[in-house]
Amino acid sequence: MSAQKPAQSDDPIELLADSMNVWVGKLSDLVHKVVDTEPIRNVINWARMYSLWPVNITTACCSAEFGAASGARHDLERFGVLPYGSLRQSDLIVIEGTITKKMAKRLRMIYDQMAIPRYVIAMGDCAISGGLFHDSYSIVNGAHEFLPVDVFVPGCPPRPEALEHGIIMLQEKIRSSKVYPQS
Amino acid sequence: MTTTDKPTQENTLGSPSPDEPGAQTLTLSVGPQHSGSGHMRLIVELDGDIILNAEPDPGYVHRGIEKIIELRNIIRSIPVIERPSIIDASNLNHAWVRAIEELQGVEPPARGQYLRCLLNEMNRIMSHLYWLSIYGVFLGHTTMFMWPLGDRELFIDLAESLTGARITYSYLVPGGVRRDLPQGFAEEAIKRTEYFEKRLDEYENIFFKNPLFTSRAKGVGVLSRQRAIELGATGPTLRGSGVEADLRKDEPYAAYGELDFKVHTRPDGDSYSRVMVHVDEMRESSQLIRQMLKKLPSGPVRRKAPIVVPRGEAYSRVESARGECSFYMIGEGGDKPYRARYITGSYRNMAAISAVLQGVRLADMPTSWWSIDYWPVEADR
Amino acid sequence: MSLSHEREDNLIKSLRENFPTDIKDATTVRRSRINITVSPDKIVNVALFIRDKLGFDHPTGVSAVDYNRESRFEIVYHLTSIAKSDQRDILLNLKESVPRNTPKTTSLVKVWPGVENFERESIEMFGLQFEGHPKPEKLFLNDNWDGPPPMRKEVRFPTD
Repeated sequence: MSAQKPAQSDDPIELLADSMNVWVGKLSDLVHKVVDTEPIRNVINWARMYSLWPVNITTACCSAEFGAASGARHDLERFGVLPYGSLRQSDLIVIEGTITKKMAKRLRMIYDQMAIPRYVIAMGDCAISGGLFHDSYSIVNGAHEFLPVDVFVPGCPPRPEALEHGIIMLQEKIRSSKVYPQS
Repeated sequence: MTTTDKPTQENTLGSPSPDEPGAQTLTLSVGPQHSGSGHMRLIVELDGDIILNAEPDPGYVHRGIEKIIELRNIIRSIPVIERPSIIDASNLNHAWVRAIEELQGVEPPARGQYLRCLLNEMNRIMSHLYWLSIYGVFLGHTTMFMWPLGDRELFIDLAESLTGARITYSYLVPGGVRRDLPQGFAEEAIKRTEYFEKRLDEYENIFFKNPLFTSRAKGVGVLSRQRAIELGATGPTLRGSGVEADLRKDEPYAAYGELDFKVHTRPDGDSYSRVMVHVDEMRESSQLIRQMLKKLPSGPVRRKAPIVVPRGEAYSRVESARGECSFYMIGEGGDKPYRARYITGSYRNMAAISAVLQGVRLADMPTSWWSIDYWPVEADR
Repeated sequence: MSLSHEREDNLIKSLRENFPTDIKDATTVRRSRINITVSPDKIVNVALFIRDKLGFDHPTGVSAVDYNRESRFEIVYHLTSIAKSDQRDILLNLKESVPRNTPKTTSLVKVWPGVENFERESIEMFGLQFEGHPKPEKLFLNDNWDGPPPMRKEVRFPTD
């Protein structure tokens, strides 16, 4: 063990606090390693993937198919997806449709306010590459330009079944990922 | 509960009025990340919890469609102009092809006109059902969210068998429509509309005669007749304030001149009147679909029309679900329009938002504001 | 439904009688469509007459067109009538032309309150100026838009 002391200090309490910092850091690394092993990791991932709560933000016209997917025939809640109002308690943001420059600023603000773990689904051709409006003066050509996207769901608009497939893909991605991948 | 144009000062708790020294009003920003705002922002100035002034801040979905349609030919622009109100796509499509046909001097065959009106009426029902389900989200009424979306799927299946797409059809082209009815369509459609009208009777009891709904919507968000006319409101917003104006009767287009239907209005101008105008229109559209299928003439569905916009100007007007949708098209030869000005129902009703929300309590804001059926994507284009 | 132009011609006659020198052009394009062209300094009086005496109280929209080869902008007010039920289908286009290097005209918000948002959009999209407009700020474009007015004909954006 080699604790790094930036300067020699005579105060005994400060010396004690510095060494306790190092031990707490090592303890936290140990907890991360223990939690990230098979049985506990599976339980945590199971809880995360079956309760993906998206933020209440509609970006553009794909919101009509997101609404239809949440509705009676293609019920998204059976996958655990329930739109939730508070940002700090949501873990998914679904970019539905064309992203204008005015909306992109707010989307980035929303993403920054969400707590880790947070996932992004880019729904619709416009959120992937600009889509039908790629030559417009006021849009951003794709969500990946300013957000890290996990799943791309193509279509104009994608059918509710396609969105469900995208959510299942995200669930598979979470199932096989580490508990602390993001920092 | 009545609302007047000025907020009432109920000074029961000794709260200061805005004129007293040291009093302040609160400015809130509602949206775009809000479960009661849609894709736009409302800047609301409050005194206590009464709204003094509510201004819309649109532009979050502005994609510059008017510039795009000057750069693409008229067939490639059809998906672009359908997207603003994606749940009501065929009505917007109808305005586009009517402007082009007026410049070209082409008249579609009679069967094509009837099929256009058929898809338009199905779209009107679908759009009103989606509006009703989002109204359920705003009210916190989960049944009002689920039931209309389930019944909307009845008509989405019909539209899918007719055109091949769930909501974005691109079915109307200059000269007619793309395809004829599939086999068995008429019987299936008649069965579904009859089932839908029974469902509307169930909606009456659980949604519209429910005292929890009527106490939240009656007398709230009043738009007077004079104000609705001078602000240029259109569609159910105008008809809910007692003005009997519907383009299908005033300037009949396509097959509407030969069909028999009523225009529904309500005199009070509050949120409840606008909601009931929507419900009456759904019932009327359902009856219109059956009428059209009975009266459908035979013949071709499409006449050949060139991909050219001749020199001249034309103004086409169509009654979409949210009001009048119109194109002011100027052509100069070539396959692209020189200028195609696109005015939709929601863009005109944007002017009515501040008038409707003045004097309303903040808790009633989603109820009154959504009752004018303002679809932000359609207004921003 | 007859296809005669009687109502439209009567409206034009009444307009010409009251403004013998101000109307540059007044035509019945077809049934239910009238085009009136005036110059920008006379438009307020003509607008008040059209609203009060002819009964066109319902504004349908405002369009701006860029005729760059003729170096002018044309501003068109689209009006319909609710007050008189026998002319519900008539659409009246009230046009005015402003030169391209000084695109300034008077706002008609005092005549028809509903044209406010349409004029505001024309200000930001074409770079026009409406004198007397209560709120000439950006409506749809980004708050910090620093480019040229997008709808002008010479403005092209690179396609990706």
